Amino acid sequence: MKNRLRRVGLLSALALVAAVPAVTPAAASAKATITMSGSTSVAPLAALLARKYLNVCKHCVNFKLLQGGSDIGVADVAAGRVTIGNSSRDPKPTDPGGLVFNKIAQDAICIVTNKANPLPGIDQAGVQAVFGGKVRSWSDVPGSTQTGTIDTFVRTPASGTQDAFAKIFLGSTKVFSGASQKASNGLIEQSVSGDPNGVGYVSLAFTKNVHVVPYKGVDCTLRNAKSGQYGGVRNFYMVTRGAPTGVAAKWINWITHSKAASAIISTQWVPLI
Amino acid sequence: MPAPGSQAAKPKDRTDQRAEVALGALASAVLLLIAFMIVFVFSKAWPSFAANGLAWFGAGGNVDEQLTNVFNSPAGAENFVYTFHAWPLLYATALITGISVVLATAISLLSAMFIVEFAPEVMQRILQPVIRLLAAVPSVVYGLIGILVLVPFVGNHVISGAEKDAVRYVIQLDGTSILVGVLVLTVMITPIMVAIVTDALRSVPRNWTEGAAALGVNRWRALRTVGLRAARPAIVAAAVLATARALGEAIMLSMVSGSVGFAPNPLDGVTFFFEPARTLAATVVDNAEGLSVEPFGQTIYALAAILLVSSAFLSFAGWAARQSMRKYTLQAR
Repeated sequence: MKNRLRRVGLLSALALVAAVPAVTPAAASAKATITMSGSTSVAPLAALLARKYLNVCKHCVNFKLLQGGSDIGVADVAAGRVTIGNSSRDPKPTDPGGLVFNKIAQDAICIVTNKANPLPGIDQAGVQAVFGGKVRSWSDVPGSTQTGTIDTFVRTPASGTQDAFAKIFLGSTKVFSGASQKASNGLIEQSVSGDPNGVGYVSLAFTKNVHVVPYKGVDCTLRNAKSGQYGGVRNFYMVTRGAPTGVAAKWINWITHSKAASAIISTQWVPLI
Repeated sequence: MPAPGSQAAKPKDRTDQRAEVALGALASAVLLLIAFMIVFVFSKAWPSFAANGLAWFGAGGNVDEQLTNVFNSPAGAENFVYTFHAWPLLYATALITGISVVLATAISLLSAMFIVEFAPEVMQRILQPVIRLLAAVPSVVYGLIGILVLVPFVGNHVISGAEKDAVRYVIQLDGTSILVGVLVLTVMITPIMVAIVTDALRSVPRNWTEGAAALGVNRWRALRTVGLRAARPAIVAAAVLATARALGEAIMLSMVSGSVGFAPNPLDGVTFFFEPARTLAATVVDNAEGLSVEPFGQTIYALAAILLVSSAFLSFAGWAARQSMRKYTLQAR
């Protein structure tokens, strides 16, 4: 019994040793691999695009897609761990030198309230007052059907969405220090949908269970974001170390210039062409 | 087939020796791993401690604003912003862990005594597997129940509008609160404690309690004065284990106890329990996304270092407490 077990173990170990070198060089010589990591907001888009790209170029490359957040993507690509780092935030002064931020698409950030409080609209001053903590009661917000204290939900400092929101909507205003910080778009949507007095901001894809507030008189919809009327739009990037080369260059060029990629981006995001 | 024969012919102690070496190597590997972990975390965390000195542990300013400033530090190591005062997070951790462990200890002692001494046979047979099952439920499940059910309920029905209005310029009471955090955490750590204390009470020699009964003491008193006293080391061990779990609980607390670095004020009366607070572990998990920003990562590692030290201190305190009880009780578990 023991003997047989040992033999099985040895055989499987041998098989493994034999299989690994047999597989790797063949795969490596036939196809290049594009590895990506980073923003959780960009990841769904990157996955859709990669699937289509494999169809179009007849499996000319392998893709590996990891997540982790914009800053992880930027750090990974700077360290050479991945080919492309996905980022949903703009370049920062602390980013390592030599990185190229290749813009691939845009995404709308919507202000959302509970469905019980269908706010007819808000302007930039209103956003700054509500999220900055100057106005703390719904009775002081024009058009609100609620009267209680405002519950503000924001993202954690390290979030790409938080960074974009602060730049686009808040300007120099600081977020109210008592606001509840959530770690993801989904948690904000959940919190606002469960709280009649809640207000928050999410990526356009996370607005199913909440009321979307028109910003500066423009509805936060894909159509308005595409036409450029909606102001709360941020950029999605694929970051490379130096200008992209080889398969990565072809892939990014396909995303930014082909009709097929643009059609995929248009389903939920704003294409560049 | 020579192999089986030669196996049997070998002297037995060779196998023993090999097992000894292998197990010894594994045990020292664990030690090495722990040493490596401590060195790694502290070397990562050092710049944050060094830049702030003792003020790191103190109060002052808004901790979330400080985190944001650290995250947005300008480029170049000499320009990094490190200013950080962790007091609200330390306070929140001690507060939520402390209240939960005290509550859980009381509940688990009483229920363990009931299970061992008073519960009918059938009930015992049902209760024990159920409690073990509860102890094994992953914390994220508790977190989901908390955020989907308890937080909206507390926010919309328990906290009154007047209470919200009274503190609205300082902090918002949206249901994510100490109350929900402590409640869920207590439910989470009680089953482990019940399981351990039940086993300990069972292992108290029968003749000890019977001796007490022979002296005319009733069951309750015999259990309280003899059983519980004999089981004290196990109770301490259970409390230490529960505290460790509470201290390290990140994802559930990040979901239900409010993600604001706020130090709740006990002078606020009832409102105190509705105020949010964020523990060290929850802060680490909430901000893990920014680890790659150098000064921010170092600050997060500093929080992890404090958690590491406090859990080490906790095991030591538990050991010391058991040492002093050893003389009069069963052997410590």
